[in-house]
Amino acid sequence: MATTIEQPVKTKAEPELLGFLAEFDDPNALIEASKKVRDAGYRNWDTHTPFPLHGIDEAMGIKWTILPWIVACCGLMGGTIAISMQWYMNAYDYPFLISGKPLFSIPACIPIVFELSVLLAAFGAFFGMLGLNQLPKLYNPMFKSEAFRRVTNDRFFISMDAKDAKFSEIDTGEFLKSLNPTNVEEFWSDVESPKLPRNLKLGLSIVGVLMIMPPALVAYKRSTTTNTPRVHIVPDMDFQPSLKAQNTTNVFSDGREIRPNIKGTIPRGQFKDDNIPFYYGLKYLPEDQDVVTIAVQDEKKADAKPAEDKKADAEKAPATKPAAADPAAAAAAEAKKLDELPWVTEFPMPVTAKMMARGKERYRIYCSACHGLGGEGDGLVTLRAMDLQQGTWVKPASYHTENVRKLPVGRLYHTITNGVRKMPAYGPQIPPEDRWSIVLYLKALQKSQQIDANTLPEDVKRKLRDTK
Amino acid sequence: MASVTAEPIDTTIEVPGKRTPLVTGAHDYGTVTDAVCRLAECKTPKAWYLALGVSACLMGMLFGLIGYLIITGVGVWGNRSPVFWGWPIVNFVFWVGIGHAGTLISAILFLFRQDWRTGINRAAEAMTIFAVVCAGVFPGIHIGRVWLAYWLFPIPNQMAMWPNFRSPLLWDVFAVSTYATVSLLFWYMGMIPDLATLRDRATGKIQQFAYGLFSLGWNGSSRHWHRYERAYLLLAALAAPLVLSVHTIVSFDFAVSQLPGWHTTIFPPYFVAGAVFSGFAMVLTLMIPARKICGIEDLLTDRHLENMTKVIIATGTMVGYAYAMEFFIAWYGGNRYETFAFINRAFGPYAWAYWIMVSCNVISPQLFWIKKIRTTPWMIFVVCVFVNIGMWFERFVITVTSLSRDFLPSSWGYFKPTIVDVLMLIGSFGLFMTLFLLFCKFLPMVAMAEVKSVMPRPGGHGDH
Repeated sequence: MATTIEQPVKTKAEPELLGFLAEFDDPNALIEASKKVRDAGYRNWDTHTPFPLHGIDEAMGIKWTILPWIVACCGLMGGTIAISMQWYMNAYDYPFLISGKPLFSIPACIPIVFELSVLLAAFGAFFGMLGLNQLPKLYNPMFKSEAFRRVTNDRFFISMDAKDAKFSEIDTGEFLKSLNPTNVEEFWSDVESPKLPRNLKLGLSIVGVLMIMPPALVAYKRSTTTNTPRVHIVPDMDFQPSLKAQNTTNVFSDGREIRPNIKGTIPRGQFKDDNIPFYYGLKYLPEDQDVVTIAVQDEKKADAKPAEDKKADAEKAPATKPAAADPAAAAAAEAKKLDELPWVTEFPMPVTAKMMARGKERYRIYCSACHGLGGEGDGLVTLRAMDLQQGTWVKPASYHTENVRKLPVGRLYHTITNGVRKMPAYGPQIPPEDRWSIVLYLKALQKSQQIDANTLPEDVKRKLRDTK
Repeated sequence: MASVTAEPIDTTIEVPGKRTPLVTGAHDYGTVTDAVCRLAECKTPKAWYLALGVSACLMGMLFGLIGYLIITGVGVWGNRSPVFWGWPIVNFVFWVGIGHAGTLISAILFLFRQDWRTGINRAAEAMTIFAVVCAGVFPGIHIGRVWLAYWLFPIPNQMAMWPNFRSPLLWDVFAVSTYATVSLLFWYMGMIPDLATLRDRATGKIQQFAYGLFSLGWNGSSRHWHRYERAYLLLAALAAPLVLSVHTIVSFDFAVSQLPGWHTTIFPPYFVAGAVFSGFAMVLTLMIPARKICGIEDLLTDRHLENMTKVIIATGTMVGYAYAMEFFIAWYGGNRYETFAFINRAFGPYAWAYWIMVSCNVISPQLFWIKKIRTTPWMIFVVCVFVNIGMWFERFVITVTSLSRDFLPSSWGYFKPTIVDVLMLIGSFGLFMTLFLLFCKFLPMVAMAEVKSVMPRPGGHGDH
């Protein structure tokens, strides 16, 4: 340590004259003086004012700044970054398909392009200004002048730099005095070293390195793979103490995590046993309750299953379910089971004109698309499907065939509820009252095709003729 | 020396062919500096400590509640089906709107060479920054898992995912953060020369160091001023469209959705007008007491207040027009959901909020047509408080009424804020006021350099 003291300190030199400061208390006087300095041919000089003094630029001969060009370049850069970023992120690297919109389209890019252009242009204006002005420069020898402190308040100064080619200690001083300033003073270089203390630099760099370490560690961890579980600072819902279905546990005596329903449990809205004809279309529930939810499967659809699947099915269910091996036979068996059920033949509720009107409306909403307005199986969907001839469409049966006409109302109700072949179950969509209304309207449709026109009253006949 | 006539003058009188001075009282350059620096230099009044104490407590409450929210979850808010955009988004849009007046005053009035802005622009810009800080809090905590807020930004991550740039919510992230950054730069750059003034007058070591650091060694060089003015002009030119874009994009959050009452093309201009309206009201609410307490009535004259009330009449009328036009289009467009949404706003379960909004925003600014009200500070203050209340309710009505009753009656609901909602709104005012009080105490409240440049020069040189 002792050696450093003995070393000659270079900055312990004689202070040298850096320039002159001429003080004015009137902005107009400063402008007049500036013109004279300019005309005298000085280059390295400046004026200092508490506010931007209009007219001083011409008086000093200041050229226009290139700042607008810097700002324009920064703005363009911002726009380019924005548009390429959006293309790369949403259309190329991580294609983001949302409701069929194009992956990349200019209109959707505009807001971000605008914002980033403005942001970078603003950075250009601010940092460009600081850079061109060589700021921040916290130390300035002029600041040692007591008088110069009023430059940011109400005084106006001319500073003359000793580096100027025309500068001379006596002549320049005299020249400045001739401009009628209130005061002229000199400013000198420092005797002390303007350098920062060595330990400060060391301390700052240590603090800097320490500050970089945590984010660097995080970045490293986030960009590398690992075999061990990550540290979860906030565990979110990654680890939950809840039991999972299909696992075993020692909490319950039966060792199951999933709990079976308690005997006699009825899901909400499922208690229907007090009115079986109304809810099921049956006089009473058969022993095998599963049959009431049977929907006769589409034979063609079952046939269309790949051969391997069929084989697998057959292996899984060998003797007990021979039906699985032959879908057509299975469908026939299901239909047979349904035929044997105790279907109601009367409506389990009073039949009214209002119900008929409701049934007509519901029929037209839900059924007519396939079955046609007259129930002939010629709805628009059916017509188009037949037109396309793709072979997977089963044409709905006409209501006016002998078979369908003979079906009891309970069976028709069941078909609406659970579906048949291509027809999906409408139970979840149509409430029971409406299903019965539709059955009623369907019965009326069937009747309308079976009546001898001559038995009709005269006014109905006339009406029919007129609407023909 | 530059001095202005000492006789008291009524600055609100129009004299044809003669410009009203922007600074009244016997002021020269030095006394302007003294007046502005006084609060930073002399002993702090007790009232300031009291005000800071109250607002800091409210701010503490806000931070406490944020902590509670993060630990417990966003369920502490009243946001639940179907109103998931409740109070926090209302507060966000409200605070972002408040910010707009600052940038408008400093940028657009600067571009239009409105010299009267010099008295108010600094405080208005400060208000902008603080309002944007308050605004930023709410969407930040509204995302639920605050620690994952960085997902909003396009930062590479190990999930190899990028944010969706076609979402207006992401545009919002960019718009608000750009707005905050540019406003901060604009405010700070305008303050550099004034910070240098404070540095040169500072007596304490700490003040000298702090002001010295932030004034970046400014020495008033004319060569520096030349580039500085150019940079200021460019920043103003950039900030002006930015103001319009920010609230336009905030309105896209609503307008791009399909919800009746939100899906309207009038939203961008309507939101911008509303933002300017509420922002000017907030500037006046703050400046009327502040100029009294800080004793800067000579720099911030009745004329300034009157000019701002005129902006409020204009924007308030635009907002009123927008309300009427929304109703008209809802009827004229023939969309039954849209029609219902507006009838429901005015006569449904939130009718009380709607009519508070209409009376505060449409009726109260019209009082400014009366010159007596326009030139009496306390009356202006009262009206502006009403406008602030009304504009908060406007955001509430837009956000909550549409969500609570959309297409399906089966999914209707009534939004009720919780105590946490209410206290957070109050707490955000605490945050705002704390920042503003610190600003009044430690930073130059009036742009000294700019005021000096519009004062009459000695010798009758020029008219500025």
